[in-house]
Amino acid sequence: MIQLQKISKHYPVGFGKNEILKDVDLTIEEGEFVSIMGPSGSGKSTLLHILGLLEEPSAGQYLFQGERVDKMNEKKRTQLHRGAIGFVFQAYHLIDELTVYENIETPLLYKSLSGSERKSKVADVLDRFNMVAKKDLFPNQLSGGQQQLVGIARAIVAEPRVILADEPTGNLHSDQAKVIMELFKQLNEQDKITIIQVTHSDLNATYGNRIIQIRDGHIQG
Amino acid sequence: MWKNYFKIAVKNLLKRKLYAGINVFGLATAIACFVLLSLYLENEWTYDRWYKNVSELYRVRMDYGEKGEKLVQTAMTPNILATTIKDLPEIQKVVRVYHRDVNIQYDNKSWNEGRFIYADAPFFQLFSFPLQTGNAATVLGGPNMVVISASMAKKYFRDTDPIGKTLLINGTRSLQVTGVAADVPANTHLKFDFVASYSTLQLKEYWGSANYYTYVQVQHPAQLSSLQASLTAIGRQQLSDEERNNGTVLNFIPEQVSDIHLHSVAADSAEERGDIRYNYIFALIGGMLLVIACVNFMNLATARSTERSREVGVRKALGAQRGQLFWQFMMESALLTGIAMGIGLLLARVLLPAFNQLADVQLQIGGAGGYRIYLILVGVFFLVSFVTGIYPALFLSGFRPVQVLKGSQAATPKGSRIRQSLVVFQFAASIFFIICTLIVQRQMQYIQHKKLGLDRSEVLVMNGFKGNVQQLESFKGRLLQLSGVTHVTAASESPVLVQGGYSMDHIEGRQQNYTMNINALPIEKDYLKTLGISLLSGEDLTHADIADILKEKSEERAYHFFLNETAVKKLGWTPEVAVGKRMMLNGRAGTIKGVMKDFHFASMKSKIEPIVVFPEYDWFQQIYVKTGGSNKQQVIAAIGALWKEVQPVVPFDYHFLDDDFNQMYKSEYRVGAVLGTFATLVMVVSCLGLLGLAALTTQQRTREIGIRKVLGASVTNVVTMLSKDFIKLVLMALVVAIPVAWFVGRNWLDAFAYHASLSVWLFLLAGTLAILVALLTVSLQSLKTATMNPVKSLRSE
Repeated sequence: MIQLQKISKHYPVGFGKNEILKDVDLTIEEGEFVSIMGPSGSGKSTLLHILGLLEEPSAGQYLFQGERVDKMNEKKRTQLHRGAIGFVFQAYHLIDELTVYENIETPLLYKSLSGSERKSKVADVLDRFNMVAKKDLFPNQLSGGQQQLVGIARAIVAEPRVILADEPTGNLHSDQAKVIMELFKQLNEQDKITIIQVTHSDLNATYGNRIIQIRDGHIQG
Repeated sequence: MWKNYFKIAVKNLLKRKLYAGINVFGLATAIACFVLLSLYLENEWTYDRWYKNVSELYRVRMDYGEKGEKLVQTAMTPNILATTIKDLPEIQKVVRVYHRDVNIQYDNKSWNEGRFIYADAPFFQLFSFPLQTGNAATVLGGPNMVVISASMAKKYFRDTDPIGKTLLINGTRSLQVTGVAADVPANTHLKFDFVASYSTLQLKEYWGSANYYTYVQVQHPAQLSSLQASLTAIGRQQLSDEERNNGTVLNFIPEQVSDIHLHSVAADSAEERGDIRYNYIFALIGGMLLVIACVNFMNLATARSTERSREVGVRKALGAQRGQLFWQFMMESALLTGIAMGIGLLLARVLLPAFNQLADVQLQIGGAGGYRIYLILVGVFFLVSFVTGIYPALFLSGFRPVQVLKGSQAATPKGSRIRQSLVVFQFAASIFFIICTLIVQRQMQYIQHKKLGLDRSEVLVMNGFKGNVQQLESFKGRLLQLSGVTHVTAASESPVLVQGGYSMDHIEGRQQNYTMNINALPIEKDYLKTLGISLLSGEDLTHADIADILKEKSEERAYHFFLNETAVKKLGWTPEVAVGKRMMLNGRAGTIKGVMKDFHFASMKSKIEPIVVFPEYDWFQQIYVKTGGSNKQQVIAAIGALWKEVQPVVPFDYHFLDDDFNQMYKSEYRVGAVLGTFATLVMVVSCLGLLGLAALTTQQRTREIGIRKVLGASVTNVVTMLSKDFIKLVLMALVVAIPVAWFVGRNWLDAFAYHASLSVWLFLLAGTLAILVALLTVSLQSLKTATMNPVKSLRSE
């Protein structure tokens, strides 16, 4: 499903450049649950951003479902965002001014679904996550774990093929983290959604079926 | 989708109350001012442009002067001019207009009326003032006919038909009402309540006295140059050979009627003229306020980009395209603009009466043709929404999500250079307007306190006295017996603005045909004493002098003249030499009795000109009473009671000489007041922007401030640090504003022959004021942040 070939990423620093990723080759099949691990600054977040089309690689090829995306224009990339990729962030990144319901609805707005379609989809997700009672609350009225649940609900409401999660439990304590990870496992197994997460936690990594270690911009082993 | 945007916009506004408040309030203020100033300018720019045939209407101006002297340009022309030019091929119709304050009696009541004119028969054909009753071609067709305005018809005749009724003018002439005209609109220079037929006056026609306006309707505007040639020839014909040889000028020049209000150069007493420069200034203020409010909007929106950037990042990651975000932000600014517009319009409605008073106009929102203002406002709505939205929308929608979403560190706001320049611009504008206001006020103060050479304080002026010399003398005697009355005298018009144009000839020691144009004013015996005009040589009038001029036949009279210093200098005499010299003034033969110290008898815009005053008891309209003592009200009441006894018919209509004086500078006072008000508003709106910006900057630096405090910075240190940057901007604004203000102020002051100097303290004052206000605005915010507990601000990170 995802194929990276000789992907590099560097930023200019002064007269030289700061290499983040060097010649990364990576293939991820449909239905996998992959955990990317590595120390701070090793390039794992950058790798995730490139996978999520939020950043462009400096060199190399990126094929998503067999299509070259590294050279796509912004419009086509946005189409992919909407249809195929969902994001979950460490800091949740909910929109503070919107209610739980409206936050979950937002990706559907950009897919130009009709009002009734949106309604039923959001209702399904709320139902599934047991958050119907909280749908009119604002993010700051929720605990961290609940906020992240909303974040995940928002990520899956548009029925993506893959979810990219950047340390989804980094701001949560262990009980909450467990709930979130169980949810990911469930989404992976029942809904056949491909999940790629960046994590520091060995425990979290065990929920997945594959671990990619990254160090100094190289994939180990 | 739009619903979502709308919701976000509304919630954003509610959440950031300070931000929204500043934007809405600033913009609403600007829009209210814009509406008021637009209405004002619309009124100014439609002045006299609405007559049918307006392109064919001209008023003839008279220019005269001796070689090497500044030309006198006046709208007052001799009455014979109309007769002379009537049959020129270029001319269709000629109308003379003669203004006169009169007393009108009807049905045993009487009123003093100031808007009374005499005009030739085709008046209502030339000017398309609509008539409610009467035929435009015939209403003024013969002597003793008068057309009255609709409101006068109501005032004098209530509900009865005014046609055919008779009004008694000044107790002597009976005029029959032949027509009723609609009330004249505000935007005409010819404001009248009564138009009487000119033929009523049965005046001798000659070149010697210029008191009449001459209006013409030309056959075709293209023939203007040949008309001008004929007029110039007519002017030259009136000069003697000697005058022609020594370069004396007398010319008649047609000025377009539609240009009178804003562009005429001619002196004109009938209607206070507009000034195109003040119009430009008002337009500038209106536009500037709008721009400044928009700048606030843009500044705050971009400064808030840190906060909004996260939302942009998230939305982009969720699949939003740049275009969609662009429109979201555009809608937010449209919403804010819409709210501001509503409040602004409401504000304009509420403030309109105050503005009308301030600017001395009668404007209304949505009157005749008032839809125009709404059309303009729709345009302004789209323009403001676009201008305020475009920069933040482009700026914010351009964020790259990765920059924003990487960890919790937000993107640093860019474009601070642009923001700073905008603040400099705002403050430069504020400082500019403040300096202009100070200059105007300083000049007004200068005029108020300048020694006029005559004492105008506490002089009561009564209009409309009727009676012969004996009656005047007895009235005078009784007035003088009242306590609190020190002097009494009489004259034909106000000494602060003498308008009578005469000519002097047969001057002793000069050639017979030498003539000198001079202002002249007939006076009563105690005139100089009452007004405190001092003599450089010669003596004041005696009873014997008065006896000389009270003879019935003018040939037997021996006149006594007082010239001013300027006149004497012009004749090449010293004050001592002048006394006793013989001269003639428009046929009055006499000798020079004394020389007066120069006094101001016209606006300070012109230099003091030659003037002659002389006793002549045929013209008195106004009685002057110099009062003293503390109880002014009591004195006035006593004078009023006496007036009623002596003049039972004419109402007691009085004012103070100071009022006459202030009346002359009405338009300057008005500009001063309007400028002052709006300059304050410009400053307030600019400060609002600064307040918002300071709030955001300090908010963004909360953590930094916390750290500094933990490291030992005092509150003063922090406030200084935060304020310094803003003060730098204000200083830059000063550097920009001062030269511009100096240039404009210099220019304005040069229009006055006598004016205050442009001193440095004026600029210092404006600068200090701006810095103080800015400092206050910024330090309020800084202080709040600086006194915060550092632990709290650090924990909140």
